[in-house]
Amino acid sequence: MALVEIKNLSKVYRKGTQEVPVLRDLDLTVEAGEFVALMGPSGSGKTTLLNLIAGIDRPTDGIIRVAGVDLSQLSRTKLAAWRAQHVGYIFQLYNLIPVLTAFENVELPLLLLPLSRSERRKRVEVVLGAVGLLDRYDHYPRQLSGGQEQRVAIARAIVADPTIIVADEPTGDLDAETADATLALLRRLNEEMGKTLVMVTHDPHAAAAAKRLVRLEKGALVASELRAVGEERESVARAGA
Amino acid sequence: MLKFLPYVRKNILGHRVRSAMTVAGTAVLLFLFLFVTSVQNGLDRILDARDDKLIVFQAYRFCPSSSQLPVFYADTIQAVPGVKAVLPVKVVVNNCRASLDTVVFHGVDPKLLPAVRPNVRFLSGDWSAFQSRTDAALVGRRIAERRGLQPGQSFTIAGITVQVAGVFASDAIGEENVIYTHLTLIGNPGSHHDFHATLFEVQLDDPQHATDVAAAIDAKIREKYEVPTETKPQKAHYAGALADLLDLIGMTRWLGFVCVGVVVVLVANSVVMSAQDRVKEHAVLQTLGFSGPRVFSLMLAESCLISLAGGLLGTAACVGFLEWRPMSLSTEGVSIDFVASGTLVVAGLVLSLVVGFVAGAVPAWQAGRAEIVSSLR
Repeated sequence: MALVEIKNLSKVYRKGTQEVPVLRDLDLTVEAGEFVALMGPSGSGKTTLLNLIAGIDRPTDGIIRVAGVDLSQLSRTKLAAWRAQHVGYIFQLYNLIPVLTAFENVELPLLLLPLSRSERRKRVEVVLGAVGLLDRYDHYPRQLSGGQEQRVAIARAIVADPTIIVADEPTGDLDAETADATLALLRRLNEEMGKTLVMVTHDPHAAAAAKRLVRLEKGALVASELRAVGEERESVARAGA
Repeated sequence: MLKFLPYVRKNILGHRVRSAMTVAGTAVLLFLFLFVTSVQNGLDRILDARDDKLIVFQAYRFCPSSSQLPVFYADTIQAVPGVKAVLPVKVVVNNCRASLDTVVFHGVDPKLLPAVRPNVRFLSGDWSAFQSRTDAALVGRRIAERRGLQPGQSFTIAGITVQVAGVFASDAIGEENVIYTHLTLIGNPGSHHDFHATLFEVQLDDPQHATDVAAAIDAKIREKYEVPTETKPQKAHYAGALADLLDLIGMTRWLGFVCVGVVVVLVANSVVMSAQDRVKEHAVLQTLGFSGPRVFSLMLAESCLISLAGGLLGTAACVGFLEWRPMSLSTEGVSIDFVASGTLVVAGLVLSLVVGFVAGAVPAWQAGRAEIVSSLR
């Protein structure tokens, strides 16, 4: 079942009178339960595509449907409510709130849902336990390492049990060992919890954690390759083919 | 909204120095505003008081010491139709000009006083203690607190030596700033051993006829003794005595408004700085699903809480100060109490909330309207 359906998607940024096309006439489908890596050189539009899927940006043209909802039809407020329910976003630089503890950071998205205090506590404890940081629940971001901060950010992204998790260079600011641990965690989310993940990365090593690789160049999709663990890549499509 | 309060609180406490400076600045300015307002309140209480008495004063005289009316005029005044009771009062002040520490003696007939002052409530002493000694004094609560006067204590002010027979409270305007003593003690007997009063306090059968009765009193005294008097309702008498201060107090009201303006700028500056520091944080919140109005309300709550904290401190400081040191501004024997009323407290708190709202609205609106993607960059 297609979770993300993108048709003829275009995005143009305006800088004064100048128009900068970032995505051009792009089609893409992401099935539920997939782990997709978006790769491409800088300026290829992969982060813009990720932001459009996450509903934090709006397309200039085309259709983007996530979990059956046409995002371009939602008002700002309804889009925010939709994000709270359906999207978990993992940033490259973690973006934890500095004045909140790990527990409070993870609890933030739950404040938007109709949950009691005890339900929120239970959920936060479960996800902090899942990322191995239950013992650091009262630590502030400044008291955590980069890898720990990213694990808290991942816990925050999954705590509301979103329909889709998007990650923008989640290992871009981590050392190799911590990056591997983070990627392993993302794979677990996909394989054990059945979460749909879309991840932007420059790093082929990080991309190898995904089941499908989508390549963008100059705002257009140039390749989509299915990958299986332990198997050779199988090219299933090429843009324009 | 309550479940978001810990986030708001932590953001305020997370920037301790900035928040503390803003709260302190707000508190100081609110203190100033409320202090000025307390003077205005005191003045309003005088000018809005129930106008059911007349004051007979010698015409063309200003300072109490310049009005000299023989006490026996009381009989003439009492005979005027519509007059219910007359109390001759000799007023002696230690300072006839505007002062923050004026002591006002009212020399009265100790037997007449209980009937015309039913509102007096004794904190210590009683009427009999006052009536039993010719040098006895009943001291108003505010002046007793200001001067530290206790029952049994003798003191001399403005050349008058009295012994405190009691301390009283009263809800009558300005009365707690008065020291009652015997008219015979301070009434300056004239050549025929007639005592003089400064004024006559006239109670009326029907306050609605005050103007007619006042005119009748002045006409009667002029006719009988060829002495010009000026009889006015008590409120008008007070307004005349305080005329020089009215403009000054009116100007301090503007000073108060300037204080409020400065608080708005101060809090707004703090909220703007906070919003600018946290552009990315607000974008992250919106990414997590916080709507623009939600971010707006969180920022506004921060602004209002900071302002309210300052307002609480400033109001408490002002009320505490005025309770600790009751102050009155007096001129020509009429006192304006600096009133720390419940209304003042409510006004301080409401004002601080309004200030927080006004100061925070624009930066909060900007935070709520910011584009997520550009803010994340």
